[in-house]
Amino acid sequence: MSAAPRQESDRHDAKGPLTALFSRPEIGPIGVMLLLFGMLGYFSIPAGEFSLNPFAGEGFNALGIRNNLRVISQLGIIALGAGLLIIAGEFDLSIGSMVGFAGACMAMILRWGFSVVIPYLSFEGGVHIEFFTLIHLSDVSPLGAIAITMCFTLFFGWLQGYIVVRSGLPSFIVTLGGLFFLRGLTEVSLRSFNHRPDQVKGATTVTEIPDIKNIIHLPGHGEIEREAAKALPEADLIAIVNALPADNVASITDRLQYTYQRIADAKTDIMAAKGVKPLERALENAINSGNEVMVATIQDKIATFKVTPVVPKTVTDIDVARAYIDSVVTARPVANFFGGDILEPIFSWLYYPIDWNTNNFGNQFAPGLYSCVMIWVILSLLCYIMLSRTQAGNWIYSTGGNLNAAKANGVPTNKVKVSLFMFSAFCATIFATCQVFEVNTADAAKGNLKELEAIAAAVIGGIVMTGGFGTVLGIIIGAFIFGIAKEAFFYIPGIDGSFYRVFLGLVIIASALLNENIRKRIMGAV
Amino acid sequence: MSDLKPLIETTGLVKKFGSFTALNGVSLKVYPGEVHALLGDNGAGKSTLIKILSGVFPPTEGQIHVEGQPVSFASPRNATDAGIGTVYQDLALNPLTSVTRNFFLGRELTRFNSPFGLLKMDEMHQIAIQEMAKIGINIADPEQAVGTMSGGQRQTLAIARAIYFGAKVLILDEPTSALGQKQQMEVLKTIRQVKDLGNIAIILITHNEIHARLIADRFTFLSLGEVIGEGTAKDLQGDDIKRLMAGGAEIGDLAKELAAT
Ligand SMILES: Nc1ncnc2c1ncn2[C@@H]1O[C@H](COP(=O)(O)OP(=O)(O)OP(=O)(O)O)[C@@H](O)[C@H]1O
Ligand SMILES: [Mg+2]
Repeated sequence: MSAAPRQESDRHDAKGPLTALFSRPEIGPIGVMLLLFGMLGYFSIPAGEFSLNPFAGEGFNALGIRNNLRVISQLGIIALGAGLLIIAGEFDLSIGSMVGFAGACMAMILRWGFSVVIPYLSFEGGVHIEFFTLIHLSDVSPLGAIAITMCFTLFFGWLQGYIVVRSGLPSFIVTLGGLFFLRGLTEVSLRSFNHRPDQVKGATTVTEIPDIKNIIHLPGHGEIEREAAKALPEADLIAIVNALPADNVASITDRLQYTYQRIADAKTDIMAAKGVKPLERALENAINSGNEVMVATIQDKIATFKVTPVVPKTVTDIDVARAYIDSVVTARPVANFFGGDILEPIFSWLYYPIDWNTNNFGNQFAPGLYSCVMIWVILSLLCYIMLSRTQAGNWIYSTGGNLNAAKANGVPTNKVKVSLFMFSAFCATIFATCQVFEVNTADAAKGNLKELEAIAAAVIGGIVMTGGFGTVLGIIIGAFIFGIAKEAFFYIPGIDGSFYRVFLGLVIIASALLNENIRKRIMGAV
Repeated sequence: MSDLKPLIETTGLVKKFGSFTALNGVSLKVYPGEVHALLGDNGAGKSTLIKILSGVFPPTEGQIHVEGQPVSFASPRNATDAGIGTVYQDLALNPLTSVTRNFFLGRELTRFNSPFGLLKMDEMHQIAIQEMAKIGINIADPEQAVGTMSGGQRQTLAIARAIYFGAKVLILDEPTSALGQKQQMEVLKTIRQVKDLGNIAIILITHNEIHARLIADRFTFLSLGEVIGEGTAKDLQGDDIKRLMAGGAEIGDLAKELAAT
């Protein structure tokens, strides 16, 4: 058998699945993420308890998961915008201010409506500026408020991108301008619009927005907020129950009975623990003083100590009515999409019958996950497909990887960049939308420093600052690392919570070094 | 080959940058299946000439004809559409992405023909491998990052790409200048393969006399923005080429000058 002539392709060793795995840029960040998961698990186990299961700690109980995932996904949303832009070779430092601006804008529209005014000089009674109102919309729907806000933020995103590609100025400078401009604009507009007649200066927060996501349609009462519905007169509540189908009432009653039983059990346990505590202290003293008769007596007392079990409340029609009101679906799906909860049936099932999602008092712990988690998942999925599987993705990579090459091959690099500046503004607006509908307030200081957190998450996830390199999976992992680090360090006993910043600082530098090394290897320089 | 019509022809091209005349009436005829060497000293205007041909900027005066039709290019894209494929000195490659992604850069095959349609990756891999094999390079892994390829392989990738996307005139600006000996030969072989395809006209810019003599069928010499000599390989003697490449000065004189100092 004669050997075929040696070819260029023979010089590449066949890649095993393991080498392929370890040459992926995300492998380092995945390691850090798993380490942090472990830390969070172990350190959040309450003192005195012991468990080999790292997921037994408070960081991983239902409420911990709900809160951690919220922080992670909020950061993840803006990190997508920041990361894709960095891959295309540009920066956006205005993200945080954009979050504040979008939140304030949306909140003001929801609270006071939206108008277009024309200022003009008036000479009657001294020269001063008057305003002519062209359009005034007083009752703007959530979707309308989001759309109007999007128009503003996308315009600012477009403008920053346009200035960058036209002038050739570094995006760092242009968006630094955007950072100050937007934050200032937010504060100024809040102060000037947001004051009562008796105030000279307005506040930089907007409150008293109705809890829009919890507006429901209740037969006989029209549209009403859930809390208001629960506070209806008892006769009304009973009427609501009477109108319900019997099996519906039965299942609600069933669940309420379970809840009351769990609450009663928890109370019993707490009382028992309270009652035993003095005895245990006495036992300790007795042991210390060496009085053996006393020790035996107290031990016997502890063994036979009993409290009378607490009797669970009985389920009334009023309770059923209130539980039913809680289960009615929202009449404002848009507000609920951004600010509501998801996976509620699963979390309810985890409470009853699974009995995991239960707090110390026997109540259901977490109602579900924040909706922003779902939005993050959707956006990430779309970005992943776009970046790695479509023409647009290849354009983004080449725009950041070799701008001249991309231009010479007909890639519309300016359009790519401007679109990504707009996408970054879009992500900031989504972030703000979730916040506004979750908490029904807005604050001019919202989103402060978020732009740097988003960039940090992207870098930790393997995005190279010079552009052209990185993946959406990396950005996702970066957001996880950032979010979990905050929590994990919070739980370490006897350590200042701010150490998470020290840790993240080191991780950022280490990631940047690693990323640069990978980039050089690919460029053939190492 | 004189019975053939030129594939691309320029007449009296003038290019001024402000008060500076980079090209002063350059006429050139390039035939299919031929390698046309464009030679001249640094600053002679070679790159300026090919930038005009590839649509980077318009000429101040003069005409360009492709297959007998007058053309004028508003952008590099126009020139590409008219069948002029240029392989620049930096090759216009993105070293951070794969062979296939570079091969189809800017002209990716997608479903529904939309920028947001999914890429037809398998088809693109297949075409990239096949087209590079046609001009003599086998690549094992179309997912390989271009940054890890040798200079010669990158040159081949850029050439294969230009040809696949319909280049009738292939312009190569100093394709061998940054390469080692073996890779230079690889690229010359590639150029030879392209020439043997028969229907493509190649404009080759080089400072290497040996390379020009090895592969070129026809020569044009530029100096200070003007054509100072032209001819086929047969017409020109070795010393002629050397002299004309240096801008017309006698090499013998230079040698004497050097010896005197
Ligand atoms: N955009 C421009 N603006 C002003 N002058 C230019 C410009 N481009 C080229 N020139 C000048 O035109 C002349 C010809 O340049 P060109 O790049 O065409 O030379 P070349 O023959 O390619 O040289 P080399 O062999 O060094 O590549 C040079 O003197 C150069 O300085
Ligand atoms: Mg040149």
